[in-house]
Amino acid sequence: MNIKRLLGFDTRRQAYAYGHDPDYGYTSTAKIPERWVPTTCGYCSVGCGMHIGVSDGKAVAVRGNADHPVNLGKLCPKGLAEHDIIAAASRARYPLLKGKKGRFERIGWDQAIETAVREFRRVQSEHGPRALGVVSTGQLVTEEFYALGKLVQLGLGTNNYDGNTTLCMASAVSGYKRSFGSDGPPGAYDDFEQADVVFLIGANIADNHPILCYRLERNPDKTVVVVDPRVSKTARMADLYLPLKPRSDIALLNGMAHILVRTGLIDRDYIEAHTSGFRELEQHLDKYTPERVAAVTGLSEEQIYRAALLYGRAKAPMLAWTMGVNHSTKGTETVNAINNLAVLTGNLGKPGASPFSITGQCNAMGTRETGFTASMPGYRKFESDGDRQELARMWNIDPDALPRSRGHAYPDIVEACVKGEIKALWIIATNPLVSFPNVAVLRQGFENLDFLVVQDGFHPTPTTEIADLVLPAAIWGEKDGTYTNSERRVSKVNKAVEPPEEARSDFDIFMAIAEKLGVRQALYPGWTRPEDAFEEWRRVSKGRLCDYSGLSYELLDRHHAVQWPFTEADASSANGCRPETTRLYADGEFETEDGRAELFAVEWEPYPEQPSNAFPFVFNTGRTVEHWHTRTKTKEVKILERMSPSAWLEMNPRDAKRLGLRPHDLVTVVSPRSRIDHLELRITEIVAPGQVFMPFHYEEKNSNRLTQSAFDPYSREPNYKQAAVRVEKSGPRSTAY
Amino acid sequence: METNLAAQQHVANPFTILGSTAPLRAPRESAERSPLIPNIPLEDGQQYRFHFDMSKCVGCKCCEVACAEQNNNPADVSWRRVGEVEGGVFPQTQRMHLSMGCNHCLDPSCMTGCPTMAYSKDPRTGIVQHNADACIGCEYCIWNCPYSVPTFNRERGVVGKCDMCHGRLAEGDAPACVDACPSEALSIEIVDVDKWRQEYRDEANAPGLPSADDTISTTRITLPAELPLDAEKADFHRIRPSKPHYSLVLMTVLTQLSVAGFVTTWILAFFGGSEVLEAAALVMLGLGVASFAASPLHLGRPAFAPLAIRNLKTSWLSREILGLSAFGATASAYAVMLLLGTPGVELMGSAASAVGAVSMYATSRIYMVPGRPAWNSPLTIADFFLTGVTLGPLLLAALGAQHGRSLLVAAAGAAVAHLLVETWRFLSLVRSEESERQATARLLSGPLARLFLLRLGLLAVGAVVLPALGFAAVGFGLAVAGALLGRYLFFVSVVPKNMAMPFFERSVMA
Repeated sequence: MNIKRLLGFDTRRQAYAYGHDPDYGYTSTAKIPERWVPTTCGYCSVGCGMHIGVSDGKAVAVRGNADHPVNLGKLCPKGLAEHDIIAAASRARYPLLKGKKGRFERIGWDQAIETAVREFRRVQSEHGPRALGVVSTGQLVTEEFYALGKLVQLGLGTNNYDGNTTLCMASAVSGYKRSFGSDGPPGAYDDFEQADVVFLIGANIADNHPILCYRLERNPDKTVVVVDPRVSKTARMADLYLPLKPRSDIALLNGMAHILVRTGLIDRDYIEAHTSGFRELEQHLDKYTPERVAAVTGLSEEQIYRAALLYGRAKAPMLAWTMGVNHSTKGTETVNAINNLAVLTGNLGKPGASPFSITGQCNAMGTRETGFTASMPGYRKFESDGDRQELARMWNIDPDALPRSRGHAYPDIVEACVKGEIKALWIIATNPLVSFPNVAVLRQGFENLDFLVVQDGFHPTPTTEIADLVLPAAIWGEKDGTYTNSERRVSKVNKAVEPPEEARSDFDIFMAIAEKLGVRQALYPGWTRPEDAFEEWRRVSKGRLCDYSGLSYELLDRHHAVQWPFTEADASSANGCRPETTRLYADGEFETEDGRAELFAVEWEPYPEQPSNAFPFVFNTGRTVEHWHTRTKTKEVKILERMSPSAWLEMNPRDAKRLGLRPHDLVTVVSPRSRIDHLELRITEIVAPGQVFMPFHYEEKNSNRLTQSAFDPYSREPNYKQAAVRVEKSGPRSTAY
Repeated sequence: METNLAAQQHVANPFTILGSTAPLRAPRESAERSPLIPNIPLEDGQQYRFHFDMSKCVGCKCCEVACAEQNNNPADVSWRRVGEVEGGVFPQTQRMHLSMGCNHCLDPSCMTGCPTMAYSKDPRTGIVQHNADACIGCEYCIWNCPYSVPTFNRERGVVGKCDMCHGRLAEGDAPACVDACPSEALSIEIVDVDKWRQEYRDEANAPGLPSADDTISTTRITLPAELPLDAEKADFHRIRPSKPHYSLVLMTVLTQLSVAGFVTTWILAFFGGSEVLEAAALVMLGLGVASFAASPLHLGRPAFAPLAIRNLKTSWLSREILGLSAFGATASAYAVMLLLGTPGVELMGSAASAVGAVSMYATSRIYMVPGRPAWNSPLTIADFFLTGVTLGPLLLAALGAQHGRSLLVAAAGAAVAHLLVETWRFLSLVRSEESERQATARLLSGPLARLFLLRLGLLAVGAVVLPALGFAAVGFGLAVAGALLGRYLFFVSVVPKNMAMPFFERSVMA
């Protein structure tokens, strides 16, 4: 503070002046930029359109794009301050190599790329090609995912490649594949506005996808049913709130199906024409009587009937879910049980009616379609010779160069590190030291590695800190490409500012590595920029369910965002107008071999780690609206940090009384694996007796010290929820006073 | 200012202005469907107000971030805040959120309290506006507002608050918070002022909000259909001490000592002057003037302190400053006259004494604001006067003035009375049904308990026990320490009225 300010002269007066922005009206002059750059939000998969305000080469503001079909101008609190992450102090700026003393030293890009490639090749020549693992993300642009898939599978020659999307929506993918023969959410956000009944199952959209609340708010005639063991912010939006016991959702869904079948509220013609497996399912459902389901779920029979009849009698009911369903060893099967309801009643492919997975990351969908991890680009199957030959032809390679099966999924890559089978790992834009369950195991695996490369926009993060080599990457706002959101809508992402110092776009880093490997021309003929990848991907996706062939950057720039499938014919018939909302499977033709949707007889089972005398509480984890994932970005945004500065534990007053705990006490939470100390206690009726809840964003108090190593057998998604824990007082009361 | 006011003339038909070319902006569908701002002009006797639909708010805090972006406010300055209230029993738990900017009250206490007239209520729109250029950063408006709406901006040294984005309204745009809300829980409405004055109780009150009676908030709140009987603020258990205001601690104690010491000197001089008294008068004067002169240091903008005398009509702060200035002038005249033996010295002394007493009263009235319940009591007047009446005579006795015994008895009597007042105040806080008073009691009996006991002990030992044993000077020292500690506790233990806040927000000290 200078002397003038101390005396009382308003030295910062200019920072608080107001003016008129031609596009966004009266506002602080500091927020009136030289130009507005249209783009898509880089946080979650809602995929909101926005403008970044740029002055003097710096991002100074963000505003919602009212013309964008997803958000119509609205943004959530993270999006509204997103420009603040670009200039964060914790951005990675230079390639860093860990020296002998364990200290990072700044190196040049040439040396960085040379080192990465040399170490990858050394490990692969010593231990076999699959001793290299790659873990990517849902945060890159589609063009980068497409390029990276080719680089890893064909250039580096390992199929031990997966994304953090396996921690997130893999169960939705597996569930869709099993039910409908392919990934790809059938519905659209428009369903939130068109449905007469909306089920939100394990989906706390008020905290996690606030802009979907806006889409729901635009629906005047809705009945909202919220299924969640915790009275989340979303639960208060419900007309019917079903506070079921943790992970009893399969019982509830089967119970609803039971009632629908019994009362004839199913579409027998549709079932006859478009499904298989009905008879087995019908028999299976016999035992899911309302009495039994009530006992399993803790709901009343009346509540179960009401839910079933609301769904069965609705004209266009929507079933939307997120991590409450996916984060489970039964995630895939829960998705199948959800899909069952839609298929039994013919409620998909029409406005308002869909089984709809709300995805997590901004471009989780892009990596699902192009990523070359769990499937080959364009939802092609590793196991299908036809798919392999088609892809090889388009890529001008030998079909035998394509792997015949997927490699290790993310948890199995970690396992392989622990076992010493994977010796070198390349991590891109993810922070597993905070996000992976039972993180001590992962840390042990990573300590076994010969070489760990972490490519990220931020440093230090807990993961970059243990890396041997850090590659600084450009982030949202600094690069071009596309994101695809939960409703299959491809939205343009544009560069507004230059990356800091020597940070480079992931696309450029992939090109440099390909160059060093000597495969650049073979993999990326003539590519110089992300649009070249997009053009190739258009051709590769042509004729697939996720058909991008009619899309172009020019079209996306004009309409901001367009849903796939979008063929060349769609492009010409749209005739310059904004394309209409699309839904999959409107004709009842599915992607399975016989074209029929598969009904699955799935069984409710108790979750793996039941509470015991030593660990009497069920430990639930989730998000808070102010933060994103492991907080690498949002902890750099001061207003979000002020609103939600650290983790807390929610406990029911009855339990707190029993344990002699008071509000704001600091407590220790202990699971069979580890403990978290000095967690501030919130005593609240938000959680049921016997359960506790904690947000997972905070590296300082990391909930994943406590979570289990238990994974869905189909999707390999972790069972983040329902760990058994005990809670003890860990010290004097907090600084609450 | 002028351009803003001129712009407001256009509010008559806000949407006509939307016709201007806006290349990025599509027509607002939501606004067409359900207008979030009025599309008819204000008539006489009407003003704008916020409408907040508590049944729709999901607590996403978009409004709060949008507000900070709109106004380029740093993270620790919130012109709109989102709070949380909880009630009921699982699973019939009621979680309710509150979003609040400024309530643009009919009787804005920020405005009546402001010594520099930085606040104005726009006669046309009813928007309570704050002019940063006129603000000296005394933060008295923050004490006055029962909703803790005005916020001090450290980097500027001035206060600021929500102005309903009047500049946006003038251009036909919704305020940033209204525009950002994904639940459409916020809107701007027109209210008939006279009608609202009769009816506000039904719609301006909500769980988690202080009573609208204090200032007649204009914000209309739609409550959820079912309200729990046991609604509690999410931050109910998170009570933290308020800002200590050290310079005010020093200034109030020293001016009280100075005034009371001066009055005592004058009374003693009435019975015959002495050199001790002449010295004492100078000491008292010196203490008073020094502390008063140092008082602007607590301002955000000390150089502009003289502006604080502008609002004698409604602000006790302006009155105090005038009173203390007048006291300084008359007391100086008295001291000079006493030294020179000028005739009429008694008259000047009585004038100075009267002015001093009045300004002490004005000082205590500053703190008697509804927004700070623990202060808002006649006991504050007693506290301030007794502080002076204890310390003044004690200092004179310590300086060796005549009638020392009487002085010590007077001081001891005042100290005993003060101890009774402090005890009475504490018990009344404990017994109060007002949550903020209870919270003050919790602070004094919890984290501040030791300091509180020490304060009482210093008073008893310093002003009663030690002087009785003949150690008047040491006693005076301890009594002053006790008074300073007491005043520190006075500031830090006050719990302002406020809206419910979130459970776990890192809050900014007011």
